[in-house]
Amino acid sequence: MLHGYHGCYLRFDLTTGRGTRVPIPDAVLRRYIGGVGLASWILHREAPVGVDPLAPEAPLVFCFSPLVGTPLTTSAKFAVVAKSPLTGLLCDALSSSHFAIEGKRSGFDALVFTGRCAQPCVWIAGELVPTDLWGSTPAQTESALSQHGRVASIGVAGENGVLFATISNDGRHAGRGGLGTVMGAKKLKAIVVRGTQRPTLADPGAVTRRARDLSRRAQGPATAKYRELGTAGNLLAFSRLGTLPTRNFRGERLEGVERLAAENLQPVRQERRKSCASCNIGCEHLYRVGQGASVRVEYENLFALGPLCGISNPEDVLEASRLCDEFGLDTVSAGGTIAFAMECAERGYLADAPCFGDAAGLLALLADIAHQRGVGKLLSLGSRRAAQVIGRGSLDFAPQVKGLEIPGYEPRTLQTMALGLAVSTRGADHNRSGAYELDFSDRVDRLHGDERAARLAIEPEARAALMDSLILCKFLRHAVDDLFEESADMLREVVGWDVDAAELRATAGRITNLKKAFNIREGWEPPDDTLPRRLLEEPIAEGAGRGARLTRQRLERMVRSYNLARGWTAEGYLRTEAIRDLGDDLPTSAQNP
Amino acid sequence: MPAAGIVLCGGMSSRMGRPKALLPWQGRTVLEVVIDVLRSVADEVVAVTSGEFELPAVDAHVIQDREPRLGPLGGIRDGLAVVGSDLAFVASTDAPFLSASFVKAMLGFGGAAACEFDGHVQTLCAVYDRRYCEVADALIREKRMRPLFLLEGSGYRRVLPDEVPAADSIRGFNTPKEYLAALRATDGPAILEFLGHAGQQARLSRIEVQAGTLGEILRSAEPELFASADGEIPKQYLVSLNARAFVRNASMPVGPGDHIIVMDSAVGG
Repeated sequence: MLHGYHGCYLRFDLTTGRGTRVPIPDAVLRRYIGGVGLASWILHREAPVGVDPLAPEAPLVFCFSPLVGTPLTTSAKFAVVAKSPLTGLLCDALSSSHFAIEGKRSGFDALVFTGRCAQPCVWIAGELVPTDLWGSTPAQTESALSQHGRVASIGVAGENGVLFATISNDGRHAGRGGLGTVMGAKKLKAIVVRGTQRPTLADPGAVTRRARDLSRRAQGPATAKYRELGTAGNLLAFSRLGTLPTRNFRGERLEGVERLAAENLQPVRQERRKSCASCNIGCEHLYRVGQGASVRVEYENLFALGPLCGISNPEDVLEASRLCDEFGLDTVSAGGTIAFAMECAERGYLADAPCFGDAAGLLALLADIAHQRGVGKLLSLGSRRAAQVIGRGSLDFAPQVKGLEIPGYEPRTLQTMALGLAVSTRGADHNRSGAYELDFSDRVDRLHGDERAARLAIEPEARAALMDSLILCKFLRHAVDDLFEESADMLREVVGWDVDAAELRATAGRITNLKKAFNIREGWEPPDDTLPRRLLEEPIAEGAGRGARLTRQRLERMVRSYNLARGWTAEGYLRTEAIRDLGDDLPTSAQNP
Repeated sequence: MPAAGIVLCGGMSSRMGRPKALLPWQGRTVLEVVIDVLRSVADEVVAVTSGEFELPAVDAHVIQDREPRLGPLGGIRDGLAVVGSDLAFVASTDAPFLSASFVKAMLGFGGAAACEFDGHVQTLCAVYDRRYCEVADALIREKRMRPLFLLEGSGYRRVLPDEVPAADSIRGFNTPKEYLAALRATDGPAILEFLGHAGQQARLSRIEVQAGTLGEILRSAEPELFASADGEIPKQYLVSLNARAFVRNASMPVGPGDHIIVMDSAVGG
């Protein structure tokens, strides 16, 4: 028996109400570690090929990791993985805090839910209980169930089938790709975990010493930005550098955007700062909004519900963010889809949608989306499917990749990130590809992406794949000198493996390959790795990025270079040896077509 | 009389250590400044590049050298080959002081012309005649690569500085030291702005500063934060110049009109 693991997962069939303990071979744990890696392996095994993401057979995986429950700072995290109803591909999202610690104590390395409840239920530590909490907010649900353990739940958006609904716990979200929609389709309002089973550690003394050292570094200058200002501190700098998307990526200046800058909001709005469990960075900044309410503020909320929709009034943007929390909506997809609708309205393609800058319209539309009312019903499908219904060439400016709305990184002025957004396995994504870190450096020319930059983009992806599987918070990444070396040390001390940095580099590559293999299995094709036509044909019109242009040819060259550097075919398919390396316990449908 | 402008921006800039065309100048690149001057006088502007680095989007017809590494004569020949006017004022890219009145006066001589300045015939701020393109071809074949040979072959007029206005506007720079001196000789402030967490640490969020190296400016503005900014910018900060490149080299010259943004190096989410 390995230290740090339980060596099994729970497969719980919501249709029958029965759970099964499924052993996980040690070799699989070593190949995929935990978190996103292990959950992707479980999904690959448990999901029938071509399954409808909202069908009862589609699995929903909550996965912990070997580091959860240790004193290592930021390790209280878990991954949620399923086939996304928004993209039709693998979706992996992370969340954190007490749910992770308590979930690991349940005695399983992962909880896998299949089937569908006959009526709305909550799952409480192995028991399925009918509930009258359907219609409640995540906060209300959590409050009602907290006596039983730690709670992850969905809001009305997930209940109503909005394709970008979140799963919420401890005030945080597994946000992207519609994982809450998968849970809602199973009529599962909440999952409550509790337990007493704590895996042993291989070298408890060494883990304690490492935890102390890591905590000290996590209090240093490398994380000061997150602690002092939070990710919202990006907004004004991004605006100055021409990397802040505005008005559905039309590349225009937005007057008054400074009003949303954390530098200006924090002194008058900040109510308090919080940390996740087992974290001493403390990145959560809660701002006052409305009459006595507060909302957690991140750059992505501000960007998507503010500048992207042409809105710069802080009260409106914070209220929109609070509503997304309340409904259980992914803020990036909500903002992206509404910005798309605003442009459609301005072009006369869509009646009953607000125009850019209409804050009251934005707030009303969020409620309409969550409740599937009026034009909100169409927009609850996300921008890609809405564009397919609207037609008239609107897909060209739907701000999405593979169906997932683009986060707040302007691809034309961050061209290494443009590649990262195009090739990411879960769609437009800034958490699996940290390619923007290269753009924000002197290592590449961010306005002229090239093949060299494309090759460099693999490194931050590898770091993300490893951190998401250990799991450690990415805000720690600047506090670690050599992530692969130090992660190997952690795994030696926690699990007892004789592992080194080179093995973990290979593991990170394998995890990316596994996600790619799942997508290939589910219908991914090379043309999917691209960006909306707008971003490939229209230069930035105004502001600091004025004139910046990314062409289709340039992006295609970068994608090809990236694929080859990854060891894939030029088109992006896995080679035979990479498929073999995934393990012989995966379905043969991992093969390329 | 119709005239063209040609900017040579394909040089290796080996003494400068980086492409001179892309050097910041009053919030833009020197290339953009020179193009704007030529555009104000000429009917068309061509930028001849080596293709070894990417140019910003510029208001000019950008062409690439037909043959690499031929030096300025190759660029002049290639530029003359595509312009529609008989006369073209050819400028090197490192001439941000270039005066439109000087260019206009030089073109006014009606034929090939070059000004003598600092004891030399300034062949890279001179007027060339497109009809002598074949001469350039012959010179290149003979490996006689000095642009002066082309001027001589086309019967150029040697202009004295007092015959034209602002003859000294053709001075350029080849080394970081000369570039910094040129910046210091230019009036006006640069803007230094601290954003995000760096802005919380700094005493002032936005100030005007005088020309100098990046390290000098940062140390002067925030001595506590940038005491160690000698060779490189401290790694916890990210410094952007004019919202384009990020700079780590603290000896980078910065001058009037430049916009320095200092932010935390922990970018993104």
